Amino acid sequence: MSDTTLRNATDRVWPEDGVTRVPAWIYSDPEIYAKELKVFHYGKTWNFVGLDCEVPEPNSFKRSWVGERPVIITRDAEGEIHVVENRCAHRGSLLCWKNRGQAKDITCPYHHWTYNLSGDLMGLPFLRGVQGKGGMPRDFDKSKNGLTKLRVAVRGGTIWATYSDEVAPLEEYLGPEILMRLDRLVSRRPLRLLGYSRQIVESNWKLYWENSRDPYHATLMHPFLSTFGILRTDGDYHSVPLQEGRHEYTYSQYDPELKNKTSEASKQIKSIRSDLEVKDKEVVSSVVDEFKDGMMGAFQVFPTILVQQYFNCLVVRHVIPKGAGAHELSWTYFGYADDDETINRLRLKQSNLVGPAGFVSLEDSEVLSLMQPVVESCPDSVQVLEMGGHGTEAQSTMMTETLIRAFYDFYRREMGL
Amino acid sequence: MSDWVRIADASEIADDEPFASEWNGEAIALYRHEGEIFAIGDICTHEHVRLSDGWFEGDRIECPLHQSCFEIRTGKVIEGGPASEDVASYQVKVEDGAVFVKRGI
Repeated sequence: MSDTTLRNATDRVWPEDGVTRVPAWIYSDPEIYAKELKVFHYGKTWNFVGLDCEVPEPNSFKRSWVGERPVIITRDAEGEIHVVENRCAHRGSLLCWKNRGQAKDITCPYHHWTYNLSGDLMGLPFLRGVQGKGGMPRDFDKSKNGLTKLRVAVRGGTIWATYSDEVAPLEEYLGPEILMRLDRLVSRRPLRLLGYSRQIVESNWKLYWENSRDPYHATLMHPFLSTFGILRTDGDYHSVPLQEGRHEYTYSQYDPELKNKTSEASKQIKSIRSDLEVKDKEVVSSVVDEFKDGMMGAFQVFPTILVQQYFNCLVVRHVIPKGAGAHELSWTYFGYADDDETINRLRLKQSNLVGPAGFVSLEDSEVLSLMQPVVESCPDSVQVLEMGGHGTEAQSTMMTETLIRAFYDFYRREMGL
Repeated sequence: MSDWVRIADASEIADDEPFASEWNGEAIALYRHEGEIFAIGDICTHEHVRLSDGWFEGDRIECPLHQSCFEIRTGKVIEGGPASEDVASYQVKVEDGAVFVKRGI
């Protein structure tokens, strides 16, 4: 038996070189994973659960997840939003099986216990038994047997939940930079739901979390980006860690001429094929500068989402852990209630860039799924993060791993590693 | 049911014991309370179940499934359970030991 299998999470020691090295055991150790859920998802964080346009009217619901726990977002008859565990208070069975819909109450399929949309137990069959026999004891108190309710916050069109009574209000948790970027996308106009794609990625959730903090791979692994001038290493690009690594944002100014420019850097990238063209140019070239700032970008809100704007494609990537070796990636595409047909069509068309089979994002889940068994097979190996130096400061280049280092700086503090 | 309909014998209806009946596919329950007989619709407006299988106490019947309560005099739902709509109400008269009901109060 190797040393690794004898260790437990509390004995784990991070490599001496600090955040420029990542030990591979963090991607597979079940105790580390269990601690992450406890400290992060069930701890002092705000978890994204959904958009308000997914529960558009009174008496509607939507299933979601906080960490591994299934939850239900509801909008009650008065229009108020609640987030409750999707777990019957009786025997723990999955209460709501439908992804989205309309309902006045929720009834468990197992013993038909019925809850209202704020999670209170309304009734249960044969409370008083049958013909004087059986039934619940007289002191059974329905008011003490409701669903587990989470603390809820709504910002613009986004809905958030937490198990923590101690975490700061959502606005403070997000901070001014994220708030500004979030509001730009979700708070100025009512949202319209465009659709979903969902995929299971057979890798630890952090491999995906790092991936969206990794501009270094973008032009290399995703040839579509540089070939069709969406993003290039010689373009304008900024990587900014926030709150000592907790959140981050990246952005670039969209340059419609980028495709036609050559530079020393672009010549060095073998993946740029100047003989390739996109037949349907709307996917990459027809852009409405709807925010009047020429900006394209993305930001992460720890520990659940990456919000991304690719031209006019607006999408939330929701990372839902499913054990140490897998996560679900749920993509929610949105636009605005008052979108006209032209921009609505552009959004739908440009949504082909992302998602499980997206022109750009297709490669991520493939590479990460093949990476997981490798990191699992060598838990004591260490990964190198020195691109852009050793620090965790904001950098204006794609050739940096500063955002990943910043994340592990934060991660180590929170996890006590 | 615009006319009086004979639905039971008064002797069948015991004190504080719901009596399930039916007329032309319409489930109706009869209740004897403080010497008087009342009739209301017998299917809960929340889920399809006979209210007369529930708990009859005072002047209300409690649904056996989820404890929605209805007034036996009027069929009105009492707030607090999952049902939000009233059940039907009926007028009741007893003639020569026979119980007759008619829609409405």
